[in-house]
Amino acid sequence: MKRKIISLLLAITLLALPLLTATSCDLLGGGKNNGDGELKEGQVKVVFYHTMGEALRTVLDKYIVEFNKLYPDIIIEHKQVGGYDDVREQIKTEITVGDQPNLAYCYPDHVAAYNIAYAVKPLDELISSTKVITRADGTTETLGLTQAQIDDFIDAFYAEGAVYGDGKMYTLPMSKSTEVLYYNKTFFDANGLVPPTTWDEMEVLCEKLLELDPDCIPFGYDSEGNFFITMCEQLGTPYTSATGDLFLFDNAENRAFVEKFRSWYEKGYFETGELSGVSYTSGLFTKAPAEEGNCYMCIGSSGGANHQKPKNDDGTYKFEVGITSIPQVDPSNPKVISQGPSLCIFDKADPAEVEATWLFAKFLTTNVDFQAEFSMTSGYMPVLESVKDHPVYAAELEAANGKEGLTLLTAKVALEQANAYYTSPAFNGSSTARDQVGLLMQQALPLTAEKDGDVAAKIKALFEDAIYKCKYDAGLQ
Amino acid sequence: MVGSKKPWKAWLYLSPAIVLLLIFTVWPIINTVRMAFLEGYNALAVAGGKKFEFGFANFVNVIEYRDFVTCLKNTVLLCVLTVPISTFLALVISVCLNAIKPFRRMLQTIFFLPYVTNSIAIGMVFAAMFNMVGRNIGGKNELILTAGIINNVIEFFGGQAINWINKGSSEVANMTVMVIYIVWNALPFKILVLLGGLQSVNKQYYDAAKVDGTSRLRTFTRITVPLLSPMITYVVITGFIGGFKEYSSIVGIFGEKMGPTSNPYRLDTMVGFIYRDLANQQGRASAAALILFGIIFVVTMLNLYISKKNTHY
Amino acid sequence: MTDQKNFAVFEADIQKAQARQRVVRIAVQVFLYLFLIIMALIVIFPFYFMLISSVKDLAEYRLPVQTLWPNKIILHNYIEAFHTANLGTLFSNTLYVGIVSTILSLIITVITAFVFARLEFKGKNAMFAALLATMMIPGELFTITNYQTISNFLGLRTLGRELGSKDLIALGDWKNTFTVLIVPFLVSVFYIYLLRQNFLQIPNELYLAAKVDGTSDIKYLWKVMIPLALPTLISITILKMMGAWNSYMWPRLVANDEAHRLITNGLRTAFTSVEGDVNIPVQMAAVAIVSAPLFLVFVFLRKYIMKGVSRSGIKG
Repeated sequence: MKRKIISLLLAITLLALPLLTATSCDLLGGGKNNGDGELKEGQVKVVFYHTMGEALRTVLDKYIVEFNKLYPDIIIEHKQVGGYDDVREQIKTEITVGDQPNLAYCYPDHVAAYNIAYAVKPLDELISSTKVITRADGTTETLGLTQAQIDDFIDAFYAEGAVYGDGKMYTLPMSKSTEVLYYNKTFFDANGLVPPTTWDEMEVLCEKLLELDPDCIPFGYDSEGNFFITMCEQLGTPYTSATGDLFLFDNAENRAFVEKFRSWYEKGYFETGELSGVSYTSGLFTKAPAEEGNCYMCIGSSGGANHQKPKNDDGTYKFEVGITSIPQVDPSNPKVISQGPSLCIFDKADPAEVEATWLFAKFLTTNVDFQAEFSMTSGYMPVLESVKDHPVYAAELEAANGKEGLTLLTAKVALEQANAYYTSPAFNGSSTARDQVGLLMQQALPLTAEKDGDVAAKIKALFEDAIYKCKYDAGLQ
Repeated sequence: MVGSKKPWKAWLYLSPAIVLLLIFTVWPIINTVRMAFLEGYNALAVAGGKKFEFGFANFVNVIEYRDFVTCLKNTVLLCVLTVPISTFLALVISVCLNAIKPFRRMLQTIFFLPYVTNSIAIGMVFAAMFNMVGRNIGGKNELILTAGIINNVIEFFGGQAINWINKGSSEVANMTVMVIYIVWNALPFKILVLLGGLQSVNKQYYDAAKVDGTSRLRTFTRITVPLLSPMITYVVITGFIGGFKEYSSIVGIFGEKMGPTSNPYRLDTMVGFIYRDLANQQGRASAAALILFGIIFVVTMLNLYISKKNTHY
Repeated sequence: MTDQKNFAVFEADIQKAQARQRVVRIAVQVFLYLFLIIMALIVIFPFYFMLISSVKDLAEYRLPVQTLWPNKIILHNYIEAFHTANLGTLFSNTLYVGIVSTILSLIITVITAFVFARLEFKGKNAMFAALLATMMIPGELFTITNYQTISNFLGLRTLGRELGSKDLIALGDWKNTFTVLIVPFLVSVFYIYLLRQNFLQIPNELYLAAKVDGTSDIKYLWKVMIPLALPTLISITILKMMGAWNSYMWPRLVANDEAHRLITNGLRTAFTSVEGDVNIPVQMAAVAIVSAPLFLVFVFLRKYIMKGVSRSGIKG
């Protein structure tokens, strides 16, 4: 009898082992942040996924305290989930099991993916709501956005919420970045050069730089995908559409600019991130002149300014960095990409949860102090016009220089081109289009007539192939 | 065997293994088949309430995919090149090892070393050996700082440096690197098995051959190979199965884009295709996995059939 | 006389023939050694390259003709590699997963193999055949569903969501835990098969005698069968540990966060996210550090590894 009991116990233990390890591993491995304490009556919890590093989380925590002074019953639980792709994959999985967060950092492509499952809450009703809410300090606010608040958003950033082809608004902009041109100011000044404003000037400049320093690579462009899409915008040629024929980028004009940059590439005018083998060209830019393979200019994200600092090991700078807008086709109608996270709210059965999430999202995106402090810490642009008038922010921007102050300097340049931002349409398949045009550039640029024969035909085939793969992935092929 | 009076006890002991197998092996098999036959199955769309038709569309979709041919071609090419080369080399090395006495142990250990490695980590070493370091390689103002140790060796013997894996490298060069790496990686296991087989072969056959004055080559082809044929079949089959699942060795050398920077996905394989579809297109990924299983199954059966016809005892 | 002479000639001929044969034999032996040594050098060259490159400074590594012995030995690369790739955490994660999964897997394997080798019950053969059949299916086929399974284990997460139970949600969500790296691979049909064959070789009389003495199954297993099957168990242990060391795709899919990342994946990430040129000497140092533990295990347990491997045909 005793033996029987023992063996039964043993079997139960073995059966329970997986579950036991599940819990014990979590304890040992630091566990998952599932918050602490149960909710009290009347409290609502908002789970927020983002990609903020430690410095930004400190800023966020500070303003959550501010927010809780107004809404003590809304408990904010936030969590850094790796990078943007990790957030997307995590949420996609969670949607399939119905356990998605309330609020998340997002790119338009992510929202399009979540909406395959109709998981994102359209914001139009909330924005236009006139419901009046009384806050804990006795003051009131309308649930929706006032016209003044809407007007304060930088137009292009606000418009990004409605790029989904159905006219609905799905996101609020959180903090933005763009591409800027970093250049070696020390070298430019010494040689009487000015940074290019158009691609034609860029061409002349590249020639000149190669004369001055035959071993250099005049400029680096980090993202092949952005390069392609931005050229489409600048030229006004079709790229994609959220309705109808989705993938429109295979046309003569686009093939022509790819061919043009291919010939530049062949002449050694530039290098791109993936082609350089390390995803970013900032490594080439931060080399001092005469170090092998150095670039004098680099077109990269304004959010990555920290990586563009040409610092020596002892903390001194190899040269001073200048920042300006990227070259344009037509300077009177400039186009630069708008990147960086927006906020999307997930639909929940409980309307109180959605409303609480909205209040918090609205707080983050419309609070000038928060936007200013967040921007100063991250180097990303604030999404509100009025942040420019924020006294501390304005003073900091004024003092920014091309060395330690590089992050702020990028924000300054980025803010000055507020009229130029664009966002591409987002739909199920838009991220594939982005990947495919990036891959297209990656394959087209290194083509040479000497090695590959009929380059034009090869480029044509690459375009056709990219379209095919976009359609295939979207299930249209 | 002992008849237990308490059969429930046996099932009790078995239960942990059975439960885990049901969850992580049996259910996946059923579910994979289910997803493969639901046209365009996608977990996110399921969450959105979408229903799927039953049909063969996923399979058709995979097979008709333009780059499916590339995946298949790479997979087959790698198999067809590496399995015979590595089997032959392993056979020769084993026979040589079997014919010597002093230092056999030491050499045997050396030949086994590649087995105790990590294919991603050693892939990085191979990549470094073939890698050219410099600026704008293959373009204007090309500056090669070092062409890599392999090219150094080629240049030492009077050859021309070859762009093996860098930007603008040719497909032949890429494939050559992969073949060398995979063969290197596959040798230890094959040598181990074949040498084990040789050592258990009855010495009398060889003595008889010696008396008859049979030449060494003849002994090799007429006695050694036939006697070893079960082991050869074994290493060829495991080689093919491994070859059709080739993935991490390519990632080890070329990174997740599976090709030189100017030609991403040039060395894409079946498994690469499945893994990329895993997050978004589960129906298609399942169909591809079943197709892969089918191919492996057929090739294994074919191998067994051929070897049965050629096994000499 | 002539006979004698003829005989002498004949003897000389034999001697000559023997001498020739000896020469041929020596020549063949020389040739064999030459061939084997050349092949051995080719086989170990990548390791040699890894070691010498890992102690070069960047400038020396970039010499147009690479040196076969470093001019100056720099050990600092190893320190840098350790920090760049955060190898400390990766090592401890991998070790933890390796040890826990090996122990649990051994327990399950031993018990299951014992049942199939010693106990008699209805459906045993069918069950065993079914087990063996699963060995044919490539692991990639399981990945797709297992990925879904571990996101919502047995539907516990959905259930927890509905009941508002955080504990249930946590129990159902295995992503980015060590559990997900351990549990799905606890049962290896091949190891069960291997051990069962080993158990079958142990004479049945021993078991019967034990039964008569009133020894329990568990005690018999522990006292008799396990000691007799120890070599196989050691082989299994080592292969399982090697598996943890080498696994790449599954960990990358399901536990790619800093806290749970395993060594192979960590190595890959550490040297692709670096900006600027990849510092190859440092990379080689990292590879050397990662390879070292397996080599040490190999040096000490060569016999068991080679035995286990020759029967398995699978890596890890």
